[in-house]
Amino acid sequence: MVDVREDILARLLELVATIPNIKTAVRGNIDLTPEHLPAAIVLDGDEETNDVSDLSMRPPHRPTSVQMTPEIILVESEVGEIVDIGTLRREMIRLVLYDTELNEQIVKTGRNGNGAIRYLGCQTDVGWMRSLHGALRAQFLFKYTLNPADL
Amino acid sequence: MRVDFGAMFDDVYAEIGVPAVFTVTNGTGGVVADITVIDDTRPKTLPAGGSVEVIDVGPGAYARIPELAANGITRADYLHAVLAFNSRNWVVRSYELRGSPNGEDQGEVRFLLKAA
Repeated sequence: MVDVREDILARLLELVATIPNIKTAVRGNIDLTPEHLPAAIVLDGDEETNDVSDLSMRPPHRPTSVQMTPEIILVESEVGEIVDIGTLRREMIRLVLYDTELNEQIVKTGRNGNGAIRYLGCQTDVGWMRSLHGALRAQFLFKYTLNPADL
Repeated sequence: MRVDFGAMFDDVYAEIGVPAVFTVTNGTGGVVADITVIDDTRPKTLPAGGSVEVIDVGPGAYARIPELAANGITRADYLHAVLAFNSRNWVVRSYELRGSPNGEDQGEVRFLLKAA
């Protein structure tokens, strides 16, 4: 069984856990306390195909191209303390875009296949509690081939 | 009937107020005053990135402006002052004037605090 989507999300979690100074790396958990910070959270995100316009005779179980857009949320512990949100962002992008396992084995980009990985951008947040915290929500796009026969 | 709002504030502070030490730090003479505040530290959630929530508190305290003025503390002294109460030390990062029917100078100020 091969579930590329799950493999991508699992690898993303492994990667963000290696961002220097990250204290908590979780997937899908949205309730944190200051003791968890700095934190990286992987959210599954959406995915879509172009099959809405494909009403051909192609059997439904044939492979199709999927674009999934998982999100990574980074929260720093306190502005100016431990590590800043800009450093977390830089490390996250570098880790994801340069990861050999993600590129060559899971998504199969470039000469390994017709997959693709793109950094789409991010939005920032800042807010006060006991101290000032910065946060960031980043989106990545992964294009991969969904083969129902592998599921 | 004439309402004495100052006396109303005093009654409330006598019931639920706690002793505090207000230390001016912005270079105007280092006033240290014993005052009474109402602890207004509230639960607060930081909506980080839209869907993740970091749960903590937003520290705050109410004080009476006439009491501050009586101790020589003016509005220019509020920011960056150290406020100690309920066994914690905070720094005033901002403030909100709460007003009063007798004028803002007779009302309360809500100090927005941060960790010292």
